[in-house]
Amino acid sequence: MSNLIGTPFSRRNFIERLGATGGVALAMAGMEALGFGIGSAHAAPPNLSGSAKGKKVVILGAGLAGMTAAHELGKAGYDCRVIEARSFAGGRCQTSRAGFSLTELGGQTQTNDFAEGQYINHGPWRIPYHHLSTLHYTKAFAIPLEVFVNDNDAAYMYYENGTGPLAGKRIRKGRMTADMRGHTAEILAKITRKGGLDDQMTPADRDAFIGYLISEGYLTWKDLDYVGTEGAGFEVLPGAGIDPGPGQLYTPFPFADVLHSKLWNQLSSVARFDMQRTMFQPAGGMDRIAKAFESRVGPRITYSAVVQQVRQSPEGVTVNYLDSAGHSGVANADYCICTIPLSVLKSIDMQVSPRFKQAMNGVSYAPVGKIGLQMKRRFWEEDHQIYGGHILTDIRGIGAISLPSTGWQGQRGVLLGYYHFGADAARISAKSPADRAAVALAAGQKIFPDYQDNYETSFSVAWHRVEHNLGGWAEWNADGRRDDYPILCEPDGRIYLSGEHLSYIGGWQAGAIESAWQQIAKLHRRVQA
Amino acid sequence: MRRVGVVLGAVLAASLGLAVEPGFAAGADQLFAENCAACHQAAGQGIKGAFPALAGDAFVQGDPGQAAFVVLNGRGGMPTFAPDLSDDQIAQILTYVRSSWGNKASPVTSAMVAAARLKSKPDDARSALQAH
Repeated sequence: MSNLIGTPFSRRNFIERLGATGGVALAMAGMEALGFGIGSAHAAPPNLSGSAKGKKVVILGAGLAGMTAAHELGKAGYDCRVIEARSFAGGRCQTSRAGFSLTELGGQTQTNDFAEGQYINHGPWRIPYHHLSTLHYTKAFAIPLEVFVNDNDAAYMYYENGTGPLAGKRIRKGRMTADMRGHTAEILAKITRKGGLDDQMTPADRDAFIGYLISEGYLTWKDLDYVGTEGAGFEVLPGAGIDPGPGQLYTPFPFADVLHSKLWNQLSSVARFDMQRTMFQPAGGMDRIAKAFESRVGPRITYSAVVQQVRQSPEGVTVNYLDSAGHSGVANADYCICTIPLSVLKSIDMQVSPRFKQAMNGVSYAPVGKIGLQMKRRFWEEDHQIYGGHILTDIRGIGAISLPSTGWQGQRGVLLGYYHFGADAARISAKSPADRAAVALAAGQKIFPDYQDNYETSFSVAWHRVEHNLGGWAEWNADGRRDDYPILCEPDGRIYLSGEHLSYIGGWQAGAIESAWQQIAKLHRRVQA
Repeated sequence: MRRVGVVLGAVLAASLGLAVEPGFAAGADQLFAENCAACHQAAGQGIKGAFPALAGDAFVQGDPGQAAFVVLNGRGGMPTFAPDLSDDQIAQILTYVRSSWGNKASPVTSAMVAAARLKSKPDDARSALQAH
């Protein structure tokens, strides 16, 4: 999401902003080099050589962080036991397919009734190529991957809150991109040729810059005009013979129309490092990762056990829990790795220092909602030639509509009908599942005329209302990162916290895995000392 | 569009002579139901361990400026509503919350919300959430 939205446009500040963009990119590259980047920093689990010395570790939560810890510590000889609140493992790494049931807090029960083979990843759904830790396990566990189409030039953009003739019109992203780049390059090239940048460029650099702009915007050599480009796509596709023969290129939209549409606001959305290609997904659903871990550490997991209290002494840790029948249970260990989200943990009676406890309030958890809509026909492929990717829109409450990156040319498909955050998520989540679907369908209908007619059934989630999670992911502001985060990254006595919330890859599975790797390495060093 | 709908609803209710519950503006209950009830629940009772109760809550019935500040900036798992709700809408919602379910606190004016909005540094209101 660009932060350029709503700012008054002038040629001068536009140029400044372009310059600033280069500055950010350079700064990011520098941060990467220094190891402060948002890419995943570790490619393999820590080497836990030496002896586990018969130590017992109780792990709270069988999500990816907890199961990573159990798997690696178990291999190193530790006696691990995992306490999991749900009746299944995976944490937020879930896939909803037929039979999957969810009851949100204060909500009605939904039971998925998708057709055979159809699913929605209502939690994590994509794996960037630089999340080395997640990809370490997909490879180690032989989980087949598919490409997740995270950018699609054929996908429509649709903004209804812009102005001008393009407001409320669907336009393919490739066409919008070509026109925006072409018009921008034209203006810059002409300013530069007229000497407008001479005070900051040598003649040689100026010529090189104009050369770049001609190439970037497909400008005419002589006049530096943008007159359209093949990359924008065709009104009539080229083909055989005389008709259609060469086809008919799209005529560029006037620059003012493009600007007024505000569609340009979205062109940078998949440029972020964690949105870049190549993006992956496990074939068959994200929970393939959870299941692969579970097949290895499952015997160590106590399911449907909700942690009530955690006590520690110089000798060890005691965890009290309640099982689904209301019976209390106890787990004793030398150490505890607690992966319970801070949104939930802050209400649990845990014996830690007052400062440690207080630090848990330094974070906020994101309200997040998703809905999967099962369509009986893949009209987006058949009628519109859109194979995966996102329909970027400003329709209120929708965020993005995303088309499935699996089952190409099949019969049915489940698309993501909305992916929203914050106040939108709060608002839509107050609705019944049927009303949420109605909101999603009304939006999609504006873009695809066959949307509502093809709708069969839905499954939605509002993560802030999901028990044991209470939010999509942790969000740290600058104060929290500075004052509270470092405290929670270090153990309090014998208790180590772990999870995506204790990483700079928050909200990603890689954050959970690498946080676990870091904490078990610390724990192991302590045991060796 | 929705804002227009709320106003129309109020006009309609008034023109039809429908009974309007005293203490808050017509439509305030609907604004609460739409924006707040998903977590705080329809009767403001919240859910223990997850979402704070508003009914009987001292903070909610305390300083109106502080209550408005939290709605504008969010706190914990609560999102910022600054970009989504107008000062008047937030005033209506807070007035409704402060006079419902046994709560008995003074109305909140849009001027109070505007003052709280001025105190909110743009950086405090959480930036647009990033997709994952």
